Amino acid sequence: MLGEVLVFFYLASAMVISSLLAVVSRNPVHAILWILVMILHQAFMLYTLGSEFLTAVQIIVYAGAVLVLFLFVVYIINLRREERWRIFVERSSLGLVCFVVFLYLLFKNLAFFTALSPAFKANLPYHLAEATNLQWIARYLYSHYLFQFELIGVILLVVVFGAVYLLRKLKEES
Amino acid sequence: MIPFSYYALLSLILFIIGFLGVLFRRNLIILLAALEIMMNALIVLFAAISHLSKDITGYIVVFFLIGMAAAEAGVGLTLAILIYKKLKTIYTDELNYFRG
Repeated sequence: MLGEVLVFFYLASAMVISSLLAVVSRNPVHAILWILVMILHQAFMLYTLGSEFLTAVQIIVYAGAVLVLFLFVVYIINLRREERWRIFVERSSLGLVCFVVFLYLLFKNLAFFTALSPAFKANLPYHLAEATNLQWIARYLYSHYLFQFELIGVILLVVVFGAVYLLRKLKEES
Repeated sequence: MIPFSYYALLSLILFIIGFLGVLFRRNLIILLAALEIMMNALIVLFAAISHLSKDITGYIVVFFLIGMAAAEAGVGLTLAILIYKKLKTIYTDELNYFRG
Protein backbone atom coordinates (compact mmCIF):
# COMPACT_ATOMS: atom_id res chain seq x y z
CA MET A 1 0.00 0.00 0.00
CA LEU A 2 2.71 2.42 1.01
CA GLY A 3 4.87 1.29 -1.87
CA GLU A 4 2.02 1.88 -4.27
CA VAL A 5 1.56 5.43 -3.01
CA LEU A 6 5.28 6.10 -3.13
CA VAL A 7 5.51 4.84 -6.71
CA PHE A 8 2.56 6.98 -7.69
CA PHE A 9 4.03 10.10 -6.15
CA TYR A 10 7.43 9.47 -7.71
CA LEU A 11 5.88 8.97 -11.15
CA ALA A 12 3.56 11.95 -10.79
CA SER A 13 6.28 14.33 -9.62
CA ALA A 14 8.68 13.12 -12.31
CA MET A 15 6.04 13.64 -14.99
CA VAL A 16 5.11 17.11 -13.78
CA ILE A 17 8.72 18.26 -13.38
CA SER A 18 9.90 16.88 -16.71
CA SER A 19 6.96 18.36 -18.60
CA LEU A 20 7.57 21.71 -16.91
CA LEU A 21 11.23 21.55 -17.95
CA ALA A 22 10.14 20.61 -21.46
CA VAL A 23 7.93 23.66 -21.68
CA VAL A 24 10.41 26.15 -20.23
CA SER A 25 13.69 24.97 -21.78
CA ARG A 26 14.94 27.18 -24.57
CA ASN A 27 16.84 24.52 -26.47
CA PRO A 28 14.33 22.48 -28.55
CA VAL A 29 16.40 19.31 -28.40
CA HIS A 30 16.42 19.47 -24.61
CA ALA A 31 12.67 20.04 -24.63
CA ILE A 32 12.04 16.97 -26.78
CA LEU A 33 14.29 14.85 -24.55
CA TRP A 34 12.44 16.03 -21.44
CA ILE A 35 9.21 14.96 -23.11
CA LEU A 36 10.83 11.59 -23.68
CA VAL A 37 11.50 11.34 -19.93
CA MET A 38 7.88 12.23 -19.24
CA ILE A 39 6.59 9.63 -21.67
CA LEU A 40 8.71 6.84 -20.18
CA HIS A 41 7.41 7.66 -16.70
CA GLN A 42 3.90 7.76 -18.06
CA ALA A 43 4.35 4.36 -19.65
CA PHE A 44 5.24 2.96 -16.25
CA MET A 45 2.23 4.69 -14.79
CA LEU A 46 0.05 2.92 -17.33
CA TYR A 47 1.63 -0.30 -16.08
CA THR A 48 0.68 0.51 -12.51
CA LEU A 49 -2.82 1.22 -13.82
CA GLY A 50 -3.02 -2.38 -14.90
CA SER A 51 -2.39 -2.31 -18.64
CA GLU A 52 0.86 -3.81 -19.81
CA PHE A 53 -0.24 -3.64 -23.45
CA LEU A 54 -0.68 0.12 -23.36
CA THR A 55 2.75 0.44 -21.74
CA ALA A 56 4.27 -1.30 -24.73
CA VAL A 57 2.22 0.75 -27.19
CA GLN A 58 3.14 3.98 -25.41
CA ILE A 59 6.85 3.24 -25.57
CA ILE A 60 6.79 1.96 -29.14
CA VAL A 61 4.60 4.67 -30.62
CA TYR A 62 5.59 7.71 -28.59
CA ALA A 63 9.21 7.11 -27.69
CA GLY A 64 9.96 5.12 -30.81
CA ALA A 65 8.06 6.96 -33.51
CA VAL A 66 6.64 10.34 -32.54
CA LEU A 67 9.59 11.72 -30.60
CA VAL A 68 12.09 10.50 -33.19
CA LEU A 69 9.98 12.34 -35.76
CA PHE A 70 10.15 15.47 -33.60
CA LEU A 71 13.91 15.14 -33.24
CA PHE A 72 14.35 14.71 -37.00
CA VAL A 73 12.37 17.86 -37.66
CA VAL A 74 14.40 19.75 -35.06
CA TYR A 75 17.56 18.61 -36.80
CA ILE A 76 16.23 19.50 -40.26
CA ILE A 77 15.25 23.01 -39.26
CA ASN A 78 18.25 24.95 -38.05
CA LEU A 79 17.38 26.99 -35.05
CA ARG A 80 18.73 29.92 -33.26
CA ARG A 81 17.94 30.45 -29.62
CA GLU A 82 14.48 31.69 -28.85
CA GLU A 83 14.54 35.20 -27.52
CA ARG A 84 12.81 36.27 -24.38
CA TRP A 85 9.63 38.16 -24.84
CA ARG A 86 8.63 41.11 -22.79
CA ILE A 87 5.69 40.58 -20.48
CA PHE A 88 2.61 42.11 -22.02
CA VAL A 89 0.25 41.58 -19.11
CA GLU A 90 0.90 44.38 -16.68
CA ARG A 91 -1.37 43.34 -13.85
CA SER A 92 -0.17 39.86 -13.08
CA SER A 93 -1.52 40.00 -9.52
CA LEU A 94 -5.07 40.11 -10.83
CA GLY A 95 -4.34 37.08 -12.97
CA LEU A 96 -3.00 35.27 -9.94
CA VAL A 97 -6.22 35.94 -8.05
CA CYS A 98 -8.26 34.57 -10.97
CA PHE A 99 -5.98 31.52 -11.14
CA VAL A 100 -6.44 30.77 -7.45
CA VAL A 101 -10.20 31.11 -7.74
CA PHE A 102 -10.33 28.75 -10.71
CA LEU A 103 -8.08 26.29 -8.92
CA TYR A 104 -10.42 26.35 -5.92
CA LEU A 105 -13.41 25.67 -8.16
CA LEU A 106 -11.59 22.78 -9.83
CA PHE A 107 -10.68 21.20 -6.49
CA LYS A 108 -14.26 21.60 -5.36
CA ASN A 109 -15.54 19.81 -8.42
CA LEU A 110 -13.06 16.95 -8.15
CA ALA A 111 -15.10 15.50 -5.27
CA PHE A 112 -17.90 14.93 -7.76
CA PHE A 113 -15.76 12.60 -9.84
CA THR A 114 -14.68 10.47 -6.90
CA ALA A 115 -18.29 9.99 -5.83
CA LEU A 116 -19.22 8.75 -9.29
CA SER A 117 -17.28 5.53 -9.63
CA PRO A 118 -18.85 2.98 -7.19
CA ALA A 119 -22.33 3.59 -8.58
CA PHE A 120 -21.83 1.75 -11.86
CA LYS A 121 -19.30 -0.77 -10.65
CA ALA A 122 -21.98 -3.44 -10.21
CA ASN A 123 -22.92 -4.40 -13.76
CA LEU A 124 -19.75 -4.05 -15.73
CA PRO A 125 -18.49 -6.66 -18.16
CA TYR A 126 -14.81 -6.35 -17.32
CA HIS A 127 -13.46 -8.70 -14.67
CA LEU A 128 -9.74 -8.83 -14.34
CA ALA A 129 -9.69 -12.31 -12.86
CA GLU A 130 -11.26 -13.88 -15.91
CA ALA A 131 -8.64 -12.88 -18.45
CA THR A 132 -5.63 -10.61 -18.66
CA ASN A 133 -5.89 -7.01 -19.67
CA LEU A 134 -4.36 -7.68 -23.07
CA GLN A 135 -6.93 -10.36 -23.84
CA TRP A 136 -9.77 -8.05 -22.88
CA ILE A 137 -8.42 -5.23 -25.00
CA ALA A 138 -8.04 -7.58 -27.97
CA ARG A 139 -11.53 -8.98 -27.48
CA TYR A 140 -13.13 -5.54 -27.41
CA LEU A 141 -10.94 -3.98 -30.05
CA TYR A 142 -11.74 -6.62 -32.64
CA SER A 143 -15.44 -6.96 -31.86
CA HIS A 144 -17.10 -3.87 -30.40
CA TYR A 145 -14.64 -1.31 -31.66
CA LEU A 146 -13.67 -2.86 -34.98
CA PHE A 147 -14.94 0.05 -37.06
CA GLN A 148 -13.10 2.62 -34.96
CA PHE A 149 -9.96 0.51 -35.07
CA GLU A 150 -10.00 0.43 -38.84
CA LEU A 151 -10.83 4.12 -38.90
CA ILE A 152 -7.58 4.81 -37.05
CA GLY A 153 -5.75 2.86 -39.74
CA VAL A 154 -7.42 4.92 -42.47
CA ILE A 155 -6.55 8.14 -40.64
CA LEU A 156 -2.89 7.16 -40.44
CA LEU A 157 -2.93 6.27 -44.14
CA VAL A 158 -4.41 9.67 -44.99
CA VAL A 159 -1.70 11.31 -42.88
CA VAL A 160 0.99 9.49 -44.86
CA PHE A 161 -0.60 10.52 -48.17
CA GLY A 162 -0.97 14.11 -47.01
CA ALA A 163 2.62 14.39 -45.82
CA VAL A 164 4.01 12.91 -49.04
CA TYR A 165 1.76 15.07 -51.21
CA LEU A 166 2.57 18.33 -49.41
CA LEU A 167 6.32 17.81 -49.40
CA ARG A 168 6.36 16.60 -53.00
CA LYS A 169 4.56 19.72 -54.16
CA LEU A 170 7.21 21.74 -52.38
CA LYS A 171 9.96 19.86 -54.15
CA GLU A 172 8.45 20.53 -57.56
CA GLU A 173 8.21 24.26 -56.84
CA SER A 174 11.83 24.69 -55.88
CA MET B 1 -5.81 1.92 -3.96
CA ILE B 2 -4.92 5.45 -4.91
CA PRO B 3 -8.04 7.62 -5.16
CA PHE B 4 -9.17 8.84 -8.52
CA SER B 5 -8.85 12.49 -7.56
CA TYR B 6 -5.05 12.13 -7.45
CA TYR B 7 -5.01 10.95 -11.03
CA ALA B 8 -7.46 13.66 -12.03
CA LEU B 9 -5.27 16.27 -10.34
CA LEU B 10 -2.14 14.95 -12.07
CA SER B 11 -3.94 15.01 -15.39
CA LEU B 12 -5.16 18.53 -14.72
CA ILE B 13 -1.66 19.76 -13.87
CA LEU B 14 -0.19 18.17 -16.99
CA PHE B 15 -2.96 19.63 -19.12
CA ILE B 16 -2.36 23.11 -17.67
CA ILE B 17 1.39 22.81 -18.31
CA GLY B 18 0.76 21.78 -21.89
CA PHE B 19 -1.75 24.56 -22.38
CA LEU B 20 0.67 27.15 -21.02
CA GLY B 21 3.28 25.77 -23.38
CA VAL B 22 0.91 26.17 -26.32
CA LEU B 23 0.13 29.71 -25.23
CA PHE B 24 3.57 31.02 -24.42
CA ARG B 25 6.09 29.25 -26.61
CA ARG B 26 6.75 30.63 -30.04
CA ASN B 27 8.65 27.72 -31.53
CA LEU B 28 6.21 25.74 -33.65
CA ILE B 29 7.83 22.40 -32.83
CA ILE B 30 7.71 22.99 -29.08
CA LEU B 31 4.11 24.05 -29.55
CA LEU B 32 3.33 20.66 -31.09
CA ALA B 33 5.24 18.97 -28.27
CA ALA B 34 3.12 20.84 -25.74
CA LEU B 35 0.07 19.50 -27.57
CA GLU B 36 1.51 16.04 -26.98
CA ILE B 37 1.75 16.83 -23.26
CA MET B 38 -1.94 17.75 -23.27
CA MET B 39 -2.74 14.50 -25.05
CA ASN B 40 -0.74 12.58 -22.45
CA ALA B 41 -2.76 14.21 -19.69
CA LEU B 42 -5.87 12.79 -21.31
CA ILE B 43 -4.22 9.38 -21.56
CA VAL B 44 -3.52 9.34 -17.81
CA LEU B 45 -7.09 10.38 -17.10
CA PHE B 46 -8.71 7.72 -19.28
CA ALA B 47 -6.44 4.96 -18.02
CA ALA B 48 -7.20 5.91 -14.40
CA ILE B 49 -10.94 5.94 -15.08
CA SER B 50 -10.71 2.56 -16.72
CA HIS B 51 -8.59 1.09 -13.93
CA LEU B 52 -10.70 2.35 -11.07
CA SER B 53 -14.10 1.60 -12.58
CA LYS B 54 -12.99 -1.86 -13.85
CA ASP B 55 -14.18 -1.06 -17.34
CA ILE B 56 -12.22 -1.74 -20.51
CA THR B 57 -13.49 1.24 -22.53
CA GLY B 58 -10.98 3.70 -21.13
CA TYR B 59 -8.07 1.57 -22.28
CA ILE B 60 -9.58 1.39 -25.75
CA VAL B 61 -9.88 5.17 -25.75
CA VAL B 62 -6.22 5.41 -24.70
CA PHE B 63 -5.28 3.16 -27.62
CA PHE B 64 -7.16 5.40 -30.05
CA LEU B 65 -5.70 8.51 -28.44
CA ILE B 66 -2.17 7.23 -29.01
CA GLY B 67 -3.00 6.57 -32.64
CA MET B 68 -4.53 10.01 -33.04
CA ALA B 69 -1.50 11.61 -31.39
CA ALA B 70 0.77 9.92 -33.90
CA ALA B 71 -1.37 11.16 -36.78
CA GLU B 72 -1.50 14.66 -35.35
CA ALA B 73 2.26 14.80 -34.90
CA GLY B 74 2.75 13.64 -38.48
CA VAL B 75 0.51 16.31 -39.96
CA GLY B 76 1.78 19.05 -37.64
CA LEU B 77 5.43 18.37 -38.32
CA THR B 78 4.81 18.20 -42.07
CA LEU B 79 3.20 21.62 -41.89
CA ALA B 80 6.11 22.88 -39.75
CA ILE B 81 8.62 21.78 -42.38
CA LEU B 82 6.48 23.32 -45.11
CA ILE B 83 6.21 26.61 -43.25
CA TYR B 84 9.94 26.65 -42.62
CA LYS B 85 10.79 25.98 -46.26
CA LYS B 86 8.43 28.69 -47.44
CA LEU B 87 8.92 31.41 -44.86
CA LYS B 88 12.37 30.54 -43.40
CA THR B 89 11.10 30.77 -39.85
CA ILE B 90 9.04 28.69 -37.46
CA TYR B 91 8.54 31.30 -34.76
CA THR B 92 4.87 32.02 -34.54
CA ASP B 93 5.21 35.76 -34.08
CA GLU B 94 7.18 36.05 -37.33
CA LEU B 95 4.69 34.12 -39.43
CA ASN B 96 3.10 37.02 -41.25
CA TYR B 97 2.56 35.38 -44.61
CA PHE B 98 -1.08 36.41 -44.64
CA ARG B 99 -0.20 39.84 -43.27
CA GLY B 100 -1.97 38.97 -40.04
